[in-house]
Amino acid sequence: MSLDLSRLFHRKRRDEELDEEIQSHLAMATRERIEQGEEPQAAAQAARREFGNRTLVQETTRAMWGWSSLELLWQDARYALRGMRRSPAFTAVAVLSLALGMGANTAIFSLINALMLRMLPVRDPGQLVELLFKAPGQDHFNAFDWRDYEHYRENNHVFSGLVASSDTPFAIRGDGLEPEIVRGGFVSPNYFSVLGVSPALGRLIGMEDGSASAPGNIAVVSWAYWKSRLGSDPAVIGRQILDGDHPLTVVGVAPRGFVGLEPANPQDIWLPLTPQHPSYVATARYWLRLAARLKPGMSLKQARAEMAVLYRWTVEEEFKTSDDRSVRSWKIEVQPAGAGLSQLRDQFGKPALVLMAVVALLLLIACANMASLLLARGSARRREMAVRVSLGAGRWRLLRQGLTESVMLAAWGGLIGILLAYWGTGVLVRIMGSGRQRVELQAHPDPAVLLFTAGIALLTGVLCGLAPAWQAYRAAPVSFLRASAAGSETRGRRLFGKSLVVAQVAFSVVLLSAASLFIRHLSHLEHLDLGFRRDHVLLVQLNPSGSGYDRERLSRAYNELLARLEAIPGVCSATMCGFFPMAGVGGMRPATVEGYQAKPGERRYLSESWVAPKYFATFGIPLVMGRDFSFADQGHGRVAIVNQTLVRYFFGDRNPIGRHITFDGDSQPFEIVGVVGDAKSGDMREPALRFVYLNSFQLGTESSRFALRTSVDPEAVAGDVRRVVRGLLKTVAIENMKTLAAQVDGAIVPERLSAMMSGLFGALGALLAALGLYGLLAYTVARRIHELGIRVALGASRSDVTRMVVGEALGLSCAGLAVGVPIAYWGRRFAVSLIPELPVQGVIPLVFGAAVMVILAWLAAYLPARRATRVDPMEALRYE
Amino acid sequence: MPTAMRKREEYQNRIELLQGTLDMLILQTLRRGPQHGYGISQRIRSGSGEVLQAETGSLYPALHRLERQGWIRSDWKSSAHNQRARYYRLTAAGRKQLAKEHSRWQQLCAAISRLMNPREKEGAA
Repeated sequence: MSLDLSRLFHRKRRDEELDEEIQSHLAMATRERIEQGEEPQAAAQAARREFGNRTLVQETTRAMWGWSSLELLWQDARYALRGMRRSPAFTAVAVLSLALGMGANTAIFSLINALMLRMLPVRDPGQLVELLFKAPGQDHFNAFDWRDYEHYRENNHVFSGLVASSDTPFAIRGDGLEPEIVRGGFVSPNYFSVLGVSPALGRLIGMEDGSASAPGNIAVVSWAYWKSRLGSDPAVIGRQILDGDHPLTVVGVAPRGFVGLEPANPQDIWLPLTPQHPSYVATARYWLRLAARLKPGMSLKQARAEMAVLYRWTVEEEFKTSDDRSVRSWKIEVQPAGAGLSQLRDQFGKPALVLMAVVALLLLIACANMASLLLARGSARRREMAVRVSLGAGRWRLLRQGLTESVMLAAWGGLIGILLAYWGTGVLVRIMGSGRQRVELQAHPDPAVLLFTAGIALLTGVLCGLAPAWQAYRAAPVSFLRASAAGSETRGRRLFGKSLVVAQVAFSVVLLSAASLFIRHLSHLEHLDLGFRRDHVLLVQLNPSGSGYDRERLSRAYNELLARLEAIPGVCSATMCGFFPMAGVGGMRPATVEGYQAKPGERRYLSESWVAPKYFATFGIPLVMGRDFSFADQGHGRVAIVNQTLVRYFFGDRNPIGRHITFDGDSQPFEIVGVVGDAKSGDMREPALRFVYLNSFQLGTESSRFALRTSVDPEAVAGDVRRVVRGLLKTVAIENMKTLAAQVDGAIVPERLSAMMSGLFGALGALLAALGLYGLLAYTVARRIHELGIRVALGASRSDVTRMVVGEALGLSCAGLAVGVPIAYWGRRFAVSLIPELPVQGVIPLVFGAAVMVILAWLAAYLPARRATRVDPMEALRYE
Repeated sequence: MPTAMRKREEYQNRIELLQGTLDMLILQTLRRGPQHGYGISQRIRSGSGEVLQAETGSLYPALHRLERQGWIRSDWKSSAHNQRARYYRLTAAGRKQLAKEHSRWQQLCAAISRLMNPREKEGAA
């Protein structure tokens, strides 16, 4: 390589040396002749004559030096650059369309890379797996409890280590620290050692922190937290901070880049998880996420078999406390977790794969577009090629030059594409993070992404360049020089150019119908009847941890707060609820309903939620029968309000008012005082659950979530809400404030992402295809101007000529439809196989895609057709 | 016109170099020590009794080709008359190559003479 480079830059010196060498040859020959007695003038002349054709000698000698492959590449690249500079418009269009195609691919690949491919910064991430349980017909969840963890850890033979961790927000404050909610988790003492992570500073949580005598009040912080909040203080070890009111000692800093097992939801602080101290460790359910390292040589299959056996114990334990037979059909899954836990992957992985297919199609369109551009330009340059072949240019050299040119165009496209993707992934991640879940995906291009882009750029360049390069390779020297400019285009080549346009139209139809499918799906979800009114509601979440209020004082304060919130001008009603809509349900418990005879083994679960009075009015859930809760229920008999689904299930047509519900293991029944309409709670795609609402103020289950119905824009009262909260509860922080509409939108982020992206890419693809069609038609008209002139001279009317051009456009787009519609049909089935909720029925997406392409073909034909009708026969005939 | 006629006669007296023999002759010439292009052509001419002529159009390409193959190396030096010239010298690889070409040449000569003088061959047998 270094040799080649030095040769590359020494060529000029070698030229001079050769010149000097010949000069000295002549000088010596002349001197010898003079010594033999010749006249100096005659001697010099004779020496030159004897030497022969000096230029030819130089030329043949230079040919001996040979060109290194690098020099040839350099020459080709410079030739290509010259060509690109010569036609800046062509270059700009080609580079831009490729940049769009490759930018889209890079952006989506960045997402997939960050979601599924990038490994955790731990030792041997390929050995990591996670455990998930799955009830039939539901998603799987990595959610277990301490009892499960201990059982699996003690009894498995397949894992070299099993770790448990929680996803817990901590209210951290301390000297010089702004009070804030820090994401973190309780982790089992073996967490860091099993993952193979070593501290950047101090020590990590270790086995000694799991012993009964361990103080437990220690914490490890992330590198990012140490840097941003603790000022990179090297003396941080031993520093005291507060979690709420519990003192913690910082004992270490995790290595840079380690943010727990879910990189998209980074954790900044870890506390030891021990069965001794926080009392809920032993009793809380479904709050631990389990991950494990496979023993060396152990396969996933063996781990699955082993865990299936161990899980049977969990099921039996579960069954002891419930007579829900469906527990028996719960299954455990063991999935690879080298790239982190699957939560975000489950949500966005499949849409990302569908989008990957979409952008691959977009790139194919851009490829076909550029190939036809290059081909058209190649035709225009055939004279040049023919001359070069006649002058002895190697055909391989011409082929390689053609490829170099297209690869360089693609490389430029790739470079700009990376810039586009850099910006685009930022937008993508922001859209993904607009949902319920915090998403801090590091999706910016990394080496894997750059490699991917370089790969597709090379592939694109070769793919686009093959046909034109082949054309150059086949350049016929003599025949072409003899033939006229227009006449000798072969049928095969024309057909190939047309088929490129047909392919573009076909792919665009696929893209457009996919876009239409996703947009329709999104609009369906957006207009779904949720059972509540999503407009004019403001949701306010407070955080009382570390505020110094005890439960009783807080309950009284919240009661007062509701009254003050309601007094804000523009607020119609204020309430409190256990969970916001779309954020899940309070819990599910089996219960006995008065007057209903349960079948043995029947799933008698009810979903429960605790709400304050005016909940239904605030959310616009209709009260069908009976009455709402009231503050006066405090101290009286326990009351419940049920939804219509529950009534239909347990009561049929009978009146449920006054009947009683008793939860299993609960002695006191609840009296049904009201019936409300069904409202979606967790996933809006699921049918309504059997719901029972209980009165927070009666049960002492106040939460810190408030909702206000306003008569004005809900955002407009936010300032007043802040003032009221601060005025009444000085130490309670406002964690979050957003509109109900935003909350609902957050639940359909993957769908919105798919719809927006496929819409954008579909539009781009269609535009490129239209440009391609326009280019071909314009070229065809220019090529046939002679023929058109004759036709007009022979009496063809304008409409005849127009019909000819538009007819070609429509013919091409119909051919594209014939190819594209079946692919679109098949593509939809592919999309449905990944995203089952998509509407399978209906031809609207296909019709939409086809219609758009026909209209675009019409538009693309307009300018060339106008050009064709303006052909002046005399001018056209003189043209040649 | 007459000079051209004479030149043609001169050419007819010379024997065209066989394909590939020039390389061998150059290497052979350089066995006697480093030499520049002009010197090489002179030595070939005088050494062959004015029969063989290395045309510059073949000589220089050959020299540069041999150098590229690593059989000869070149340095710029001043000649006896204080004329700067590029001197070529044989490398170890060149010596080996010369030996190889020499033995091939001898085989070729023997084979051709056997073909051209069949009687001698029969007589020897």
